[in-house]
Amino acid sequence: MTRFSAFERTLHWLLAVTFLTMAATGLILYLPSLAEVAANRGMWKSIHLGAAIAFWAGLIALLPGNGRQFRGAAREIDRFDEDDRRWLQWAVTRRGDEPAQGRFNAGQKLNTAIVSGLMVVFTVSGTLMYLQETDAAFRGRTSAILVHDLATWVALPLVAGHLWLALVNPSTRHSMRGILLGGVRRDWARRHHRKWMDTVEGQAVGTGSAEPPSPSP
Amino acid sequence: MAQIRVADDTERVSDRRMGRGAFLGVLGLGVVGLAFGERITRGLSGPIGAVGDVVPSAIKELVPTGWRIYAVNPPWPTFHPATYRLQVTGMVERPLTLRWSDVDSLPAVSETANFHCVTGWTVGGVHWRGIRLQTLWDMAHPLPEARYVNFVSLEHPYVDTLSLEQTTMPQVMLAHTMEGAPLPREHGAPLRLVIPEMYGYKGVKWLHRIELVDKLVPGYWEQRGYDVDAWVGRSNGYF
Repeated sequence: MTRFSAFERTLHWLLAVTFLTMAATGLILYLPSLAEVAANRGMWKSIHLGAAIAFWAGLIALLPGNGRQFRGAAREIDRFDEDDRRWLQWAVTRRGDEPAQGRFNAGQKLNTAIVSGLMVVFTVSGTLMYLQETDAAFRGRTSAILVHDLATWVALPLVAGHLWLALVNPSTRHSMRGILLGGVRRDWARRHHRKWMDTVEGQAVGTGSAEPPSPSP
Repeated sequence: MAQIRVADDTERVSDRRMGRGAFLGVLGLGVVGLAFGERITRGLSGPIGAVGDVVPSAIKELVPTGWRIYAVNPPWPTFHPATYRLQVTGMVERPLTLRWSDVDSLPAVSETANFHCVTGWTVGGVHWRGIRLQTLWDMAHPLPEARYVNFVSLEHPYVDTLSLEQTTMPQVMLAHTMEGAPLPREHGAPLRLVIPEMYGYKGVKWLHRIELVDKLVPGYWEQRGYDVDAWVGRSNGYF
Protein backbone atom coordinates (compact mmCIF):
# COMPACT_ATOMS: atom_id res chain seq x y z
CA MET A 1 0.00 0.00 0.00
CA THR A 2 1.84 3.15 -1.16
CA ARG A 3 1.84 5.82 1.51
CA PHE A 4 4.53 8.25 0.35
CA SER A 5 5.32 9.24 -3.23
CA ALA A 6 8.87 9.48 -4.55
CA PHE A 7 8.59 13.26 -4.30
CA GLU A 8 7.52 13.13 -0.67
CA ARG A 9 10.26 10.69 0.22
CA THR A 10 12.91 12.76 -1.55
CA LEU A 11 11.77 15.91 0.25
CA HIS A 12 11.79 14.09 3.58
CA TRP A 13 15.33 12.76 3.16
CA LEU A 14 16.58 16.07 1.78
CA LEU A 15 15.43 17.72 5.00
CA ALA A 16 16.65 14.84 7.17
CA VAL A 17 20.20 14.85 5.80
CA THR A 18 20.59 18.63 5.70
CA PHE A 19 18.97 19.10 9.12
CA LEU A 20 21.18 16.52 10.82
CA THR A 21 24.25 18.07 9.18
CA MET A 22 23.23 21.51 10.42
CA ALA A 23 22.41 20.19 13.90
CA ALA A 24 25.79 18.45 14.22
CA THR A 25 27.88 21.34 12.88
CA GLY A 26 25.74 23.86 14.77
CA LEU A 27 26.32 22.08 18.06
CA ILE A 28 30.06 21.91 17.38
CA LEU A 29 30.09 25.67 16.82
CA TYR A 30 27.79 26.34 19.81
CA LEU A 31 28.65 24.06 22.71
CA PRO A 32 31.54 25.23 24.89
CA SER A 33 32.49 21.59 25.54
CA LEU A 34 33.08 21.16 21.80
CA ALA A 35 35.04 24.39 21.36
CA GLU A 36 38.22 22.41 20.83
CA VAL A 37 36.68 20.51 17.94
CA ALA A 38 35.48 23.87 16.61
CA ALA A 39 38.92 25.42 16.39
CA ASN A 40 38.59 25.40 12.61
CA ARG A 41 35.46 27.55 12.79
CA GLY A 42 35.65 28.56 9.15
CA MET A 43 35.27 24.96 7.96
CA TRP A 44 32.36 24.14 10.30
CA LYS A 45 30.59 27.35 9.34
CA SER A 46 30.99 26.53 5.64
CA ILE A 47 29.47 23.07 6.11
CA HIS A 48 26.63 24.51 8.22
CA LEU A 49 25.79 27.19 5.65
CA GLY A 50 26.34 24.79 2.75
CA ALA A 51 23.73 22.40 4.19
CA ALA A 52 21.25 25.27 4.55
CA ILE A 53 21.78 26.32 0.96
CA ALA A 54 21.54 22.69 -0.20
CA PHE A 55 18.16 22.34 1.54
CA TRP A 56 16.60 25.39 -0.10
CA ALA A 57 18.20 24.68 -3.48
CA GLY A 58 16.89 21.10 -3.31
CA LEU A 59 13.40 22.25 -2.36
CA ILE A 60 13.33 24.76 -5.22
CA ALA A 61 14.62 22.11 -7.64
CA LEU A 62 11.98 19.60 -6.54
CA LEU A 63 8.96 21.89 -6.73
CA PRO A 64 8.52 22.26 -10.52
CA GLY A 65 6.49 19.29 -11.68
CA ASN A 66 5.55 18.34 -8.12
CA GLY A 67 3.64 21.46 -7.20
CA ARG A 68 0.27 19.71 -7.19
CA GLN A 69 1.50 16.99 -4.86
CA PHE A 70 3.12 19.54 -2.61
CA ARG A 71 -0.12 21.52 -2.35
CA GLY A 72 -2.11 18.32 -1.82
CA ALA A 73 0.08 17.22 1.08
CA ALA A 74 0.06 20.74 2.51
CA ARG A 75 -3.74 20.73 2.39
CA GLU A 76 -3.87 17.41 4.27
CA ILE A 77 -1.50 18.73 6.91
CA ASP A 78 -3.40 22.00 7.22
CA ARG A 79 -6.83 20.54 7.95
CA PHE A 80 -7.66 19.11 11.35
CA ASP A 81 -11.06 17.44 11.62
CA GLU A 82 -12.97 16.38 14.72
CA ASP A 83 -11.05 13.06 14.93
CA ASP A 84 -7.72 14.88 14.69
CA ARG A 85 -8.63 17.07 17.62
CA ARG A 86 -9.76 14.05 19.60
CA TRP A 87 -6.51 12.28 18.62
CA LEU A 88 -4.44 15.10 20.10
CA GLN A 89 -6.39 14.76 23.36
CA TRP A 90 -5.96 10.99 23.22
CA ALA A 91 -2.21 11.36 22.63
CA VAL A 92 -1.95 13.25 25.92
CA THR A 93 -4.47 11.40 28.09
CA ARG A 94 -4.21 7.93 26.48
CA ARG A 95 -7.80 7.32 27.53
CA GLY A 96 -10.01 5.20 25.29
CA ASP A 97 -9.27 4.00 21.76
CA GLU A 98 -7.09 5.82 19.28
CA PRO A 99 -9.40 7.94 17.11
CA ALA A 100 -9.27 6.95 13.43
CA GLN A 101 -6.73 8.93 11.44
CA GLY A 102 -6.03 9.82 7.81
CA ARG A 103 -2.74 9.35 5.95
CA PHE A 104 -1.11 11.66 8.48
CA ASN A 105 -2.16 11.52 12.10
CA ALA A 106 -2.72 14.77 13.98
CA GLY A 107 0.68 14.58 15.66
CA GLN A 108 2.43 14.19 12.32
CA LYS A 109 0.48 17.15 10.95
CA LEU A 110 1.39 19.34 13.89
CA ASN A 111 5.03 18.25 13.75
CA THR A 112 5.25 19.00 10.02
CA ALA A 113 3.64 22.43 10.43
CA ILE A 114 5.92 23.41 13.35
CA VAL A 115 9.08 22.09 11.66
CA SER A 116 8.17 23.97 8.46
CA GLY A 117 7.83 27.16 10.48
CA LEU A 118 11.13 26.48 12.21
CA MET A 119 12.89 26.06 8.85
CA VAL A 120 11.91 29.64 7.97
CA VAL A 121 12.83 30.94 11.44
CA PHE A 122 16.22 29.18 11.27
CA THR A 123 16.88 30.60 7.80
CA VAL A 124 15.97 34.19 8.67
CA SER A 125 17.80 34.27 12.02
CA GLY A 126 20.77 32.38 10.53
CA THR A 127 21.05 34.87 7.67
CA LEU A 128 21.09 37.71 10.21
CA MET A 129 23.81 35.89 12.19
CA TYR A 130 25.86 35.52 9.02
CA LEU A 131 25.47 39.23 8.33
CA GLN A 132 26.44 40.31 11.83
CA GLU A 133 29.50 38.12 11.81
CA THR A 134 30.54 39.60 8.47
CA ASP A 135 29.76 43.19 9.38
CA ALA A 136 29.86 44.38 12.99
CA ALA A 137 27.31 47.07 12.07
CA PHE A 138 24.63 44.32 12.16
CA ARG A 139 25.60 43.25 15.68
CA GLY A 140 23.14 44.03 18.41
CA ARG A 141 20.34 45.05 16.01
CA THR A 142 18.25 41.89 16.35
CA SER A 143 18.14 38.95 18.73
CA ALA A 144 19.13 36.61 15.91
CA ILE A 145 21.35 34.35 18.02
CA LEU A 146 18.77 34.04 20.79
CA VAL A 147 16.06 33.09 18.26
CA HIS A 148 18.36 30.63 16.47
CA ASP A 149 19.20 29.01 19.84
CA LEU A 150 15.58 28.78 20.98
CA ALA A 151 14.56 27.31 17.61
CA THR A 152 17.29 24.68 18.11
CA TRP A 153 15.98 23.74 21.54
CA VAL A 154 12.49 23.34 20.08
CA ALA A 155 13.62 21.44 16.99
CA LEU A 156 15.94 18.94 18.68
CA PRO A 157 13.29 17.40 21.01
CA LEU A 158 10.84 17.25 18.08
CA VAL A 159 13.39 15.41 15.94
CA ALA A 160 14.40 13.16 18.85
CA GLY A 161 10.76 12.19 19.40
CA HIS A 162 10.32 11.66 15.66
CA LEU A 163 13.36 9.36 15.60
CA TRP A 164 12.13 7.43 18.63
CA LEU A 165 8.77 6.79 16.98
CA ALA A 166 10.39 5.89 13.67
CA LEU A 167 13.24 3.70 14.92
CA VAL A 168 12.44 2.38 18.39
CA ASN A 169 8.76 2.41 19.32
CA PRO A 170 7.50 -1.05 18.20
CA SER A 171 3.97 -0.08 17.10
CA THR A 172 5.04 2.90 14.97
CA ARG A 173 8.44 1.93 13.57
CA HIS A 174 6.89 0.12 10.61
CA SER A 175 6.33 3.61 9.17
CA MET A 176 10.08 3.70 8.43
CA ARG A 177 9.39 1.31 5.55
CA GLY A 178 6.92 3.80 4.10
CA ILE A 179 9.33 6.72 4.11
CA LEU A 180 12.20 4.57 2.79
CA LEU A 181 10.42 2.54 0.10
CA GLY A 182 7.02 4.19 -0.15
CA GLY A 183 4.83 1.23 0.87
CA VAL A 184 3.36 0.08 4.18
CA ARG A 185 1.48 -3.10 5.16
CA ARG A 186 -2.29 -2.95 4.83
CA ASP A 187 -2.95 -4.30 8.33
CA TRP A 188 -0.62 -1.71 9.82
CA ALA A 189 -2.22 1.09 7.82
CA ARG A 190 -5.68 -0.10 8.86
CA ARG A 191 -4.66 0.00 12.52
CA HIS A 192 -2.95 3.41 12.46
CA HIS A 193 -4.49 5.29 9.51
CA ARG A 194 -7.98 3.78 9.14
CA LYS A 195 -9.64 6.77 7.49
CA TRP A 196 -6.94 6.84 4.84
CA MET A 197 -7.46 3.11 4.17
CA ASP A 198 -11.24 3.57 4.07
CA THR A 199 -10.83 6.28 1.45
CA VAL A 200 -8.33 4.33 -0.62
CA GLU A 201 -10.42 1.15 -0.57
CA GLY A 202 -13.64 3.11 -1.10
CA GLN A 203 -12.18 4.76 -4.18
CA ALA A 204 -10.81 1.49 -5.46
CA VAL A 205 -14.26 -0.07 -5.32
CA GLY A 206 -16.33 2.99 -6.22
CA THR A 207 -16.59 4.88 -9.46
CA GLY A 208 -13.83 7.28 -8.50
CA SER A 209 -15.96 10.37 -9.07
CA ALA A 210 -13.78 12.42 -6.71
CA GLU A 211 -10.55 12.99 -8.52
CA PRO A 212 -7.70 11.90 -6.25
CA PRO A 213 -4.98 14.56 -5.96
CA SER A 214 -2.40 11.91 -6.48
CA PRO A 215 0.80 11.72 -8.44
CA SER A 216 1.17 9.92 -11.69
CA PRO A 217 4.19 7.77 -10.98
CA MET B 1 1.64 0.97 -9.65
CA ALA B 2 -0.32 2.01 -6.64
CA GLN B 3 -1.40 5.58 -6.42
CA ILE B 4 -1.30 7.68 -3.32
CA ARG B 5 -4.57 9.04 -2.20
CA VAL B 6 -5.12 11.61 0.48
CA ALA B 7 -7.61 10.78 3.19
CA ASP B 8 -10.44 12.85 1.88
CA ASP B 9 -10.32 15.92 -0.25
CA THR B 10 -13.76 17.24 0.60
CA GLU B 11 -13.59 20.02 3.10
CA ARG B 12 -16.01 19.79 5.99
CA VAL B 13 -17.31 22.79 7.89
CA SER B 14 -15.91 21.38 11.09
CA ASP B 15 -12.36 21.23 9.67
CA ARG B 16 -9.99 23.73 11.17
CA ARG B 17 -6.91 25.07 9.47
CA MET B 18 -4.65 24.23 12.37
CA GLY B 19 -1.66 23.34 10.21
CA ARG B 20 -1.20 26.82 8.87
CA GLY B 21 -2.05 28.15 12.31
CA ALA B 22 0.88 26.28 13.81
CA PHE B 23 3.15 27.26 10.89
CA LEU B 24 2.27 30.95 11.10
CA GLY B 25 2.40 30.84 14.90
CA VAL B 26 6.02 29.66 14.79
CA LEU B 27 6.83 32.40 12.26
CA GLY B 28 5.13 35.01 14.45
CA LEU B 29 7.06 33.92 17.54
CA GLY B 30 10.27 34.06 15.50
CA VAL B 31 9.60 37.65 14.39
CA VAL B 32 8.67 38.75 17.93
CA GLY B 33 11.82 37.06 19.21
CA LEU B 34 14.02 38.77 16.61
CA ALA B 35 12.60 42.18 17.47
CA PHE B 36 12.21 41.97 21.24
CA GLY B 37 14.06 38.84 22.41
CA GLU B 38 16.99 40.54 24.14
CA ARG B 39 14.69 43.08 25.78
CA ILE B 40 12.47 40.30 27.13
CA THR B 41 15.37 38.27 28.54
CA ARG B 42 16.97 41.38 30.02
CA GLY B 43 13.65 42.18 31.67
CA LEU B 44 13.66 38.69 33.16
CA SER B 45 17.30 38.75 34.27
CA GLY B 46 16.74 41.88 36.44
CA PRO B 47 14.36 40.28 38.99
CA ILE B 48 16.26 37.01 38.91
CA GLY B 49 19.57 38.77 39.53
CA ALA B 50 17.96 40.66 42.41
CA VAL B 51 17.02 37.45 44.19
CA GLY B 52 20.73 36.82 44.13
CA ASP B 53 22.18 33.74 45.66
CA VAL B 54 18.81 32.29 46.67
CA VAL B 55 18.45 31.03 43.12
CA PRO B 56 20.95 28.28 42.23
CA SER B 57 23.30 29.37 39.49
CA ALA B 58 22.20 26.44 37.32
CA ILE B 59 18.71 27.94 37.15
CA LYS B 60 19.98 31.49 36.76
CA GLU B 61 21.98 30.42 33.74
CA LEU B 62 18.85 29.22 31.99
CA VAL B 63 17.78 32.85 31.64
CA PRO B 64 20.07 34.41 29.10
CA THR B 65 21.63 37.73 30.11
CA GLY B 66 23.44 38.05 26.81
CA TRP B 67 26.57 36.59 28.44
CA ARG B 68 27.67 33.02 28.07
CA ILE B 69 30.15 31.87 30.63
CA TYR B 70 32.96 29.66 29.40
CA ALA B 71 35.50 27.89 31.54
CA VAL B 72 38.10 25.32 30.53
CA ASN B 73 38.61 23.69 33.93
CA PRO B 74 35.55 23.99 36.17
CA PRO B 75 34.79 24.84 38.90
CA TRP B 76 35.57 28.55 38.61
CA PRO B 77 38.42 29.73 40.82
CA THR B 78 37.40 31.41 44.06
CA PHE B 79 38.75 34.80 45.02
CA HIS B 80 40.10 35.11 48.59
CA PRO B 81 41.03 38.78 49.24
CA ALA B 82 43.39 37.86 52.09
CA THR B 83 45.54 35.43 50.12
CA TYR B 84 45.22 36.79 46.56
CA ARG B 85 48.43 38.07 44.96
CA LEU B 86 48.94 39.70 41.57
CA GLN B 87 52.44 39.01 40.25
CA VAL B 88 54.27 40.90 37.52
CA THR B 89 57.30 38.83 36.59
CA GLY B 90 59.75 38.01 33.81
CA MET B 91 61.63 40.66 31.88
CA VAL B 92 61.10 43.60 34.20
CA GLU B 93 63.52 45.66 36.28
CA ARG B 94 61.34 45.38 39.38
CA PRO B 95 59.15 42.28 39.70
CA LEU B 96 55.95 43.01 41.61
CA THR B 97 53.84 40.99 44.04
CA LEU B 98 50.75 42.99 44.90
CA ARG B 99 48.17 42.23 47.60
CA TRP B 100 44.54 42.79 46.71
CA SER B 101 44.52 45.99 48.77
CA ASP B 102 47.47 47.24 46.66
CA VAL B 103 45.72 46.41 43.40
CA ASP B 104 42.52 48.00 44.63
CA SER B 105 44.26 51.28 45.48
CA LEU B 106 45.95 51.70 42.05
CA PRO B 107 44.56 54.57 39.96
CA ALA B 108 41.45 53.30 38.14
CA VAL B 109 39.67 54.45 35.01
CA SER B 110 36.20 53.71 33.64
CA GLU B 111 35.08 52.84 30.15
CA THR B 112 32.10 51.50 28.27
CA ALA B 113 32.75 48.98 25.52
CA ASN B 114 31.10 46.25 23.48
CA PHE B 115 32.11 42.67 24.22
CA HIS B 116 32.37 40.32 21.23
CA CYS B 117 32.67 36.55 21.46
CA VAL B 118 34.25 34.56 18.64
CA THR B 119 31.14 32.32 18.63
CA GLY B 120 29.09 35.26 17.38
CA TRP B 121 27.38 36.81 20.39
CA THR B 122 27.87 40.36 21.54
CA VAL B 123 27.04 42.21 24.73
CA GLY B 124 26.79 45.90 23.99
CA GLY B 125 27.77 48.76 26.26
CA VAL B 126 29.44 46.94 29.14
CA HIS B 127 30.65 49.34 31.84
CA TRP B 128 34.10 48.44 33.17
CA ARG B 129 36.35 50.04 35.77
CA GLY B 130 39.94 49.01 36.25
CA ILE B 131 43.64 49.60 35.81
CA ARG B 132 45.58 50.50 32.68
CA LEU B 133 48.54 48.23 32.00
CA GLN B 134 50.76 51.35 31.68
CA THR B 135 50.25 51.86 35.44
CA LEU B 136 51.91 48.49 36.10
CA TRP B 137 54.66 49.12 33.53
CA ASP B 138 55.47 52.43 35.25
CA MET B 139 56.00 50.45 38.48
CA ALA B 140 57.77 47.38 37.10
CA HIS B 141 59.75 48.91 34.20
CA PRO B 142 59.81 46.33 31.38
CA LEU B 143 63.29 45.57 30.06
CA PRO B 144 64.05 46.63 26.46
CA GLU B 145 64.05 43.00 25.26
CA ALA B 146 60.50 42.36 26.57
CA ARG B 147 58.22 41.97 23.53
CA TYR B 148 55.23 39.91 24.66
CA VAL B 149 53.09 39.64 27.78
CA ASN B 150 51.55 36.39 29.07
CA PHE B 151 48.43 36.69 31.18
CA VAL B 152 48.07 33.65 33.42
CA SER B 153 44.74 32.66 34.94
CA LEU B 154 44.08 31.01 38.29
CA GLU B 155 42.09 28.60 36.13
CA HIS B 156 44.89 26.26 35.16
CA PRO B 157 45.98 25.96 32.32
CA TYR B 158 44.34 29.05 30.85
CA VAL B 159 46.75 31.65 29.54
CA ASP B 160 46.74 34.22 26.77
CA THR B 161 49.11 36.71 25.30
CA LEU B 162 49.42 40.20 23.85
CA SER B 163 52.34 42.04 22.37
CA LEU B 164 53.68 44.70 24.73
CA GLU B 165 52.42 47.41 22.33
CA GLN B 166 48.92 45.90 22.33
CA THR B 167 48.69 46.15 26.13
CA THR B 168 48.64 49.94 25.89
CA MET B 169 45.99 50.23 23.17
CA PRO B 170 43.44 52.86 24.24
CA GLN B 171 40.73 50.63 25.74
CA VAL B 172 42.78 47.74 27.11
CA MET B 173 42.49 47.39 30.91
CA LEU B 174 42.54 45.03 33.87
CA ALA B 175 38.96 45.30 35.08
CA HIS B 176 38.01 44.76 38.71
CA THR B 177 34.58 46.40 38.51
CA MET B 178 31.75 45.57 36.12
CA GLU B 179 28.48 47.51 35.89
CA GLY B 180 29.36 49.33 39.11
CA ALA B 181 29.89 46.20 41.21
CA PRO B 182 32.95 44.07 41.99
CA LEU B 183 33.71 41.73 39.09
CA PRO B 184 31.45 38.68 39.58
CA ARG B 185 33.06 35.26 40.01
CA GLU B 186 31.85 33.97 36.64
CA HIS B 187 33.38 37.01 34.91
CA GLY B 188 36.80 36.35 36.43
CA ALA B 189 36.88 37.78 39.97
CA PRO B 190 38.85 39.63 41.09
CA LEU B 191 40.61 40.74 37.89
CA ARG B 192 40.20 40.15 34.16
CA LEU B 193 41.78 41.48 31.03
CA VAL B 194 39.49 43.54 28.76
CA ILE B 195 40.43 44.11 25.09
CA PRO B 196 37.34 45.47 23.31
CA GLU B 197 38.93 45.27 19.85
CA MET B 198 39.58 41.54 20.19
CA TYR B 199 37.39 38.50 20.81
CA GLY B 200 36.67 37.55 24.39
CA TYR B 201 38.98 34.53 24.60
CA LYS B 202 41.92 36.97 24.70
CA GLY B 203 40.50 38.54 27.87
CA VAL B 204 41.95 36.25 30.54
CA LYS B 205 39.71 35.88 33.60
CA TRP B 206 40.79 35.13 37.19
CA LEU B 207 44.09 36.83 36.36
CA HIS B 208 46.91 36.33 38.85
CA ARG B 209 50.23 36.47 36.99
CA ILE B 210 51.57 38.76 34.28
CA GLU B 211 54.77 37.58 32.66
CA LEU B 212 56.91 39.64 30.28
CA VAL B 213 58.85 37.57 27.73
CA ASP B 214 60.83 38.05 24.54
CA LYS B 215 59.18 35.29 22.46
CA LEU B 216 55.52 34.71 21.65
CA VAL B 217 53.90 31.88 23.61
CA PRO B 218 50.49 31.05 22.05
CA GLY B 219 47.54 31.19 24.46
CA TYR B 220 45.24 28.35 25.48
CA TRP B 221 42.88 28.62 22.50
CA GLU B 222 45.66 29.59 20.12
CA GLN B 223 47.36 26.27 20.83
CA ARG B 224 44.06 24.78 19.69
CA GLY B 225 43.84 26.57 16.35
CA TYR B 226 42.38 29.99 17.13
CA ASP B 227 44.09 33.17 15.90
CA VAL B 228 46.67 34.95 18.09
CA ASP B 229 45.59 38.37 16.86
CA ALA B 230 41.87 37.99 17.48
CA TRP B 231 40.65 41.23 15.92
CA VAL B 232 36.86 41.43 15.97
CA GLY B 233 35.52 40.83 12.46
CA ARG B 234 39.00 40.24 11.00
CA SER B 235 40.06 36.85 12.37
CA ASN B 236 39.01 33.25 13.07
CA GLY B 237 37.38 32.15 9.84
CA TYR B 238 35.82 35.46 9.02
CA PHE B 239 34.32 35.20 5.56
